Amino acid sequence: MSSEAVVEAEPVLVAEHLTKRFGKREAVSDVSFTLHAGEVLGFLGPNGAGKTTTIRMLVGLAKPDAGRIHIRGLDLATDFRRAMTHVGSIVESPDLYRYLTGRENLMHFARMLPDGAEDRIESLADMVRMRERLDDRVSTYSLGMRQRLGIAQALLGNPDVLVLDEPANGLDPAGIREIRELVRHLAEDRGISVFVSSHLLSEIELMCDRVSIIHRGRTLASGPVHELLERFAGDRILVRAHPAPLAAERLAALGADEVEASANGELVSARLAPARVPEAMRELVGAGVDVYTLERPDSALEDAFLRITGGETV
Amino acid sequence: MRFAGLVENEILKISRQRRFRVVVLILIALIGLIVFAQARGRDRFLGGKDWRVRTQERMANIQNWLRDGRMPASSQRWARFELGRLKYHLERDIDPEAISGPLFTRGFATASSYLLLPLLAIVFASDIVSAEFQGGTIKILLTRPVGRVRVLASKLVALMLAITLTTVFAALVAYAFGGIAYGYAGWGAPILTGFRIGGEAFDPAGVRSIALWKDTVLVFGLAWFAMLCVGAIGLLTSVLLRSTAAAMGSMLAALIAGTILPRLASQWEAQKFLFVTCLPLPDYYSGSPPPIPGLTIGLAAAVLAAWAAAALIAAFAVFARRDVLA
Repeated sequence: MSSEAVVEAEPVLVAEHLTKRFGKREAVSDVSFTLHAGEVLGFLGPNGAGKTTTIRMLVGLAKPDAGRIHIRGLDLATDFRRAMTHVGSIVESPDLYRYLTGRENLMHFARMLPDGAEDRIESLADMVRMRERLDDRVSTYSLGMRQRLGIAQALLGNPDVLVLDEPANGLDPAGIREIRELVRHLAEDRGISVFVSSHLLSEIELMCDRVSIIHRGRTLASGPVHELLERFAGDRILVRAHPAPLAAERLAALGADEVEASANGELVSARLAPARVPEAMRELVGAGVDVYTLERPDSALEDAFLRITGGETV
Repeated sequence: MRFAGLVENEILKISRQRRFRVVVLILIALIGLIVFAQARGRDRFLGGKDWRVRTQERMANIQNWLRDGRMPASSQRWARFELGRLKYHLERDIDPEAISGPLFTRGFATASSYLLLPLLAIVFASDIVSAEFQGGTIKILLTRPVGRVRVLASKLVALMLAITLTTVFAALVAYAFGGIAYGYAGWGAPILTGFRIGGEAFDPAGVRSIALWKDTVLVFGLAWFAMLCVGAIGLLTSVLLRSTAAAMGSMLAALIAGTILPRLASQWEAQKFLFVTCLPLPDYYSGSPPPIPGLTIGLAAAVLAAWAAAALIAAFAVFARRDVLA
């Protein structure tokens, strides 16, 4: 879904001025955001930034010291039960009853929902590809399987909002990709709004329509992912080209900063605004340079994130 | 969303955890062992004499001890009480040491109401909330469209059911093993109950004869009530401590302290307001000498009920309000 369409869509989860104190320390200060119907909103921040505390407030596990949460227009503080019929969540880790089977877990939580949830168990198990292992004990599952069963559990009540806390944590690349595709599928094909936290920018970039960046309990920036990337992402590019000195010369002539050709000859590093990259390509090719690759190194994205958060790790 | 569904969930969790099977095995193994040991010891103790002769010899022994005068005050109280009790049995022509499957069953309830039965209640109660915290499942349990009070209420109902089942199961196992050793008949035999100490002397005013089956039902009912109260207190520790080991450990320490305290500090009268001192309701009912002066069955039951009510109020208040952060 494009960001323009998102802005028009109806808000399903609204958090306003959330604040949570632990003793004197403010873990979350005045955090606000809006999740619209059918969008995936990323909640990005380093570990310890206040993501999990915020999520615990969103699902009613912790009470905010100040601020309000509305889910489908229902105030979570005064209308907890009706509000929670619209929400499914995985907080921190997909913890289920290990001594029960997958099916028993789903039955258990279906009994806590309005009638009809039990009828969805089979189709949800299919969707998360857990049908074959559904009658095995959860203690025999891998983390990825528990994560998928956790998502099935979260979807049992046919929620409008799915809240996922660091769903990629601890998964292997294939598992991460599977979760990512599942989240996109839920948002695009089923119209479920997803609020997903992560400390990995690359994860958020691939999964989300919009992102809110939190650091030390405060929102630093929020907006569509591509806009934030353009605003903050590093403009460093890496060009593998021959001859490298000529490429470096042409890039410098175009106005690129910090142009450096590597000592052994084939690699040029420079800083150039993303909008000017196509022009640079034409210029290089026109000057007779053989360009093998032109890329924005992954570390540049992480650099941007670190720059936004002040480079601190907790 | 129906409440019965929530209770079904809690029963499912209790019954599928290993501790449930452990409790069943403990009961079978322990009762089997007690019957075996008691039956063997008994043959030696009785020595084949007529019970009247035996009882008279025992009374003479106690009188000698009393005359000797070197007994501590609390033992003297006990000795006078025992003397009165034996005398009363002789007069009514009832063997005080008689045994049968039904008598063993009743005796088991009395003996296990101090420690064993409350301990089993604690095994269930300690983990009923804390296990959800330790396993992280509390995060799902409390984010479903069910109020926290209802969640805890369903756990309380399941706990009470588990305690009730345990009591019934203990009675059945005791009767089964007791019957093997001593025969299954004898439910209709009369039994003397309601012995008291009035001041320093034996007081026969409250003594009455009652059919054994009635008395056994009463005794198990009292043990069950005490277990429910311990369960309520265990529920509070489970809510407060959020660690099964810590909850079980602290309750166990309290129980053991309760069995030691009356012996070491019988002069401290305020201990009758401690729940652990009040646990052996069957004893207070049938009239062993109360360890603490003034502690009657009525007072003990009231103290237990008050502790349980206070524990439940605190458990619900804390559970409903506290943030779930870990």
